[in-house]
Amino acid sequence: MEMFLMAVCMTLFGVAVSAMAFGAATSDVREEQALATLDSKLDVALASMPERFFARDTAPTINVPPPVVTVPRVPIEVLLAQIERHVRLEHAAAESFLYDPTVESLHSRTTSPLVH
Amino acid sequence: MNTLQADLLKGLTDAQSAELLALGVRRQYPTGAELFPLGAAANSVFLIERGRVALTLPMQVQGRAEDVMVEERDGGQVVGWSGLIPPHRFTLKATAQLQTDAIVLEREVLLAHFEKHPEVGYLVTRNVASVTGQRLQIFQAMWLREMQRVIELRCP
Repeated sequence: MEMFLMAVCMTLFGVAVSAMAFGAATSDVREEQALATLDSKLDVALASMPERFFARDTAPTINVPPPVVTVPRVPIEVLLAQIERHVRLEHAAAESFLYDPTVESLHSRTTSPLVH
Repeated sequence: MNTLQADLLKGLTDAQSAELLALGVRRQYPTGAELFPLGAAANSVFLIERGRVALTLPMQVQGRAEDVMVEERDGGQVVGWSGLIPPHRFTLKATAQLQTDAIVLEREVLLAHFEKHPEVGYLVTRNVASVTGQRLQIFQAMWLREMQRVIELRCP
């Protein structure tokens, strides 16, 4: 009798384990199916969105005019005088190079305001 | 002008210099007067007796075309050597910066004189070569100095 009851218990236990394993196996397939469906929906949704980098759809577009940089304009007479002075100094520097042709004399500095 | 110091007459005897100068026409240019414009046919050479001549090229400065001085010549120096060198076009504009007196020597007259006196032609041609060669070397050095600055600005 004891042996019979033990066999019945073992059988019931085996059936229960099998049922649990079957249930677990069938639920994974359903989850995978659900995830696959969700993925395909996401793909469709992403494909319909415009491509962008680090941009939000709701990013406000503000039309700000570029800052006005006020550079003091040199009077043309002053500029022409500076150019003339620059040419004279450069000419003198180049002439001195002819009399002493060295790297130092070729690249000697002048006091021209256009260079500094 | 001391003829011995004149660029164009170096190596010539006084008699040769006097004979050559007698071929030219003396002209006076008041301050601001143009000796020749850029691009014009160059048929004469100008030997400056006294005064000063600015050689300029046009440049855009603050949106305006301005003549910018690239060289200055004064007494004893020659301008307009394009009159002797093909293609006989002035590549600069020459303007008197001061009251200037110059001896203007026409190419045809000079060439005819050189035919008769080849030794004078040789010396004058050598002097012109010296003037042009020096200008080339000076501008070569000036160009390289500017290039150096461009490189320093762009690739500090």
